[in-house]
Amino acid sequence: MSKMRLLLVDDEERFLATTRILLEKRGVETLTATNGSDALALLDEKPIDVVILDVKMPGMDGVEVLRRIKQKHPLVEVIMLTGHGSVESAVEGLKLGAFDYVMKPTDIPDLLAKAEEAHAKKQSMEEKIRRAKVEKIISHPMAVFGKDKEDED
Amino acid sequence: MGTEVYRRTRRMILNRVLIAPFIVMMLVCGTLVYHFATSLRHQVTAKLVRIVDGHRRIIEQFLDERIQDLQFVAGSVSYEELTREGEIDRALKRLQATSQAFLDLGVFNETGIHDAYAGPYTDLVGKNYAEARWFQEVQDKAVYVSDVFLGFRNIPHFVIVVRRQEGTRSWFLRATIDSLFFNDLVGSVRVGRTGEAYLVNRDGIFETPRRSGGGLMEPDPDYPTYRADDREALSFSAPDRSGERYVYATGRLRQTGWLLVVRQEADEAYGPLTRAVWIAVGLIVVGGGIVVFTAFVLASGLANRLRIADLEKQEMGTQLIMAGRLAEVGEMSAGVAHEINNPLQVMKSEYTLIQEILKDAERAGGMPTTEDLRQIRESVEEINQQIDRCKEITQGLLKFARKTEPTIQPIDLPSFVHEVASMVEHGAFLENIRIVEKSQHGLEPVESDPAQLQQVFLNLLNNAIYALKGRENAEIRITVGKEDGYATVAVADNGCGIPPENLEKIFLPFFTTKPVGQGTGLGLSTCYGIVEKLGGRIAVSSELNVGSVFTVYLPLAGPPEEVRHEAKLTERRGDTR
Repeated sequence: MSKMRLLLVDDEERFLATTRILLEKRGVETLTATNGSDALALLDEKPIDVVILDVKMPGMDGVEVLRRIKQKHPLVEVIMLTGHGSVESAVEGLKLGAFDYVMKPTDIPDLLAKAEEAHAKKQSMEEKIRRAKVEKIISHPMAVFGKDKEDED
Repeated sequence: MGTEVYRRTRRMILNRVLIAPFIVMMLVCGTLVYHFATSLRHQVTAKLVRIVDGHRRIIEQFLDERIQDLQFVAGSVSYEELTREGEIDRALKRLQATSQAFLDLGVFNETGIHDAYAGPYTDLVGKNYAEARWFQEVQDKAVYVSDVFLGFRNIPHFVIVVRRQEGTRSWFLRATIDSLFFNDLVGSVRVGRTGEAYLVNRDGIFETPRRSGGGLMEPDPDYPTYRADDREALSFSAPDRSGERYVYATGRLRQTGWLLVVRQEADEAYGPLTRAVWIAVGLIVVGGGIVVFTAFVLASGLANRLRIADLEKQEMGTQLIMAGRLAEVGEMSAGVAHEINNPLQVMKSEYTLIQEILKDAERAGGMPTTEDLRQIRESVEEINQQIDRCKEITQGLLKFARKTEPTIQPIDLPSFVHEVASMVEHGAFLENIRIVEKSQHGLEPVESDPAQLQQVFLNLLNNAIYALKGRENAEIRITVGKEDGYATVAVADNGCGIPPENLEKIFLPFFTTKPVGQGTGLGLSTCYGIVEKLGGRIAVSSELNVGSVFTVYLPLAGPPEEVRHEAKLTERRGDTR
């Protein structure tokens, strides 16, 4: 299992800082962003496995950010973090392909466990894709050329 | 609304319902009685007048015939012939052949000397009648009919005298007529029990005896009250001397001026009217009684229904206000919960960080004493506990604000309720509280959320137990049933009850009557939120010191579509893990 790269998005800076320390201590490579557009920019720049995304943020809200992430990076798993028990936004998130949603306040170890589940799912998806590619190459070796670039994140 | 208003309403309805039929009934009875009275009076007088007319005609005819008989005799013979020996006897015999009423016959000359006589009193011959009344009366008239008198014979009779003009001198023929004929004729008239007929002359003297009192030739004491017309028969009503009222009909005889009177006691004549009036009064009383009774029942029923409707309206009003307030509070709670949750999340992270730093420090031996460490850990632990407490509160608020999603599945309510009840059974047993469960037969399963319903029923049962603390004969009665498309679970206790002023606040978050620290005041508001979310409602009724009933209504058809939809989505979330 490769190391998980996690992006934490929340408008609460102190939460970001503290959680980052906690996660790094556990060996999780953690990036943080205080708003949606920063998060999307980071996703374009760096390889990220799991995003923990606050639903309610100033500017672009969590659901919108999720929609864009899933458009550009369909394999990235997103866990919605909500302080509101707003089922509507949670349901919306699940419809848009979020891995799960977690109610605030949550214990950090629990959050991490959920992130790891998401990571595992992503890895198994990637594994499947890789295997499918290999099979494809075996059956049509020539297809490797020309199409290879498209599958990269 | 007070009972006074209902009493007034009832009285108003009663008045309106009563007055109309009463007026109608009075009108109908009054009209009927009036018409009956008129017709009866008409009938009675017509009958009496008919009798008067008929009998008057007979008597007049009788008198006419007798006068004609006499005139015929007077005209067919001369004075000389008639005064001849035996001639007058033959004349009487001829008269008696036409009518037995002729008693005797006499001939008188101009000066009133009785010249010839035929009949039982032969000694009357030769007497001078110049002073007699009849003799004077007949001088001017051709015919004279006397009043009835007893005379020497001591039988009621009267005389008819005719004057005969022979050349320059005139003579008179007088016949005595037995008046028994009238007595029989008039006396035989009977109308009902008190109806009678009699004759009186112009001076008010009885010409025939009167059955109800009054002998022949006696004066009639009631004569002044009579009314009469010389040609037409008349009818009137007047009291007699003793005050008894009579209905009269009178007719005057042409020849004598006697009055034929037919009369009947008004009481008897109008007896049917009196009976009719009594029947009408009876009908009014009985009918009125029925109307009053019906109206009373009707008005009471109506007023009662009005009161129930008012109560329902009032209750509905209270519930609407409550629902409105609860919705507002719900919105606010959701906001508050969110605002609290964010800082809580920060605290949670901080707590975890402190924990880890401490752990590291301990491991590295960097901390001075273990006692200090223990204290830090303790207070950190306390922070965590407080956070969890806050979390419970905010989550309770969110549940009340219906922001948590249900999991829908079919539930067999009776056994489900039994399971929940068995969870509090021990606690109830310790408090000496009996739990009685009752369910209607043939209840189909209800689509709902068992976890949330469990919370609802636990809450209600715990409240009931709390209300029953230290009470005698404490009992909780759980009834599962069905009503208008809803499954119902009623939790009733015979505990302390809820004061009316609190009744509309009990579903508000943080409202509690328990001492500080014993309850958050979120129990019932959470129940309310859950049940609303599941498409149902909670109703409460309570009486101080009698007990409370909380009834949960759950739609048999299951929760509304959008709730099911959310529930399905959240289930799918589980699959993707």
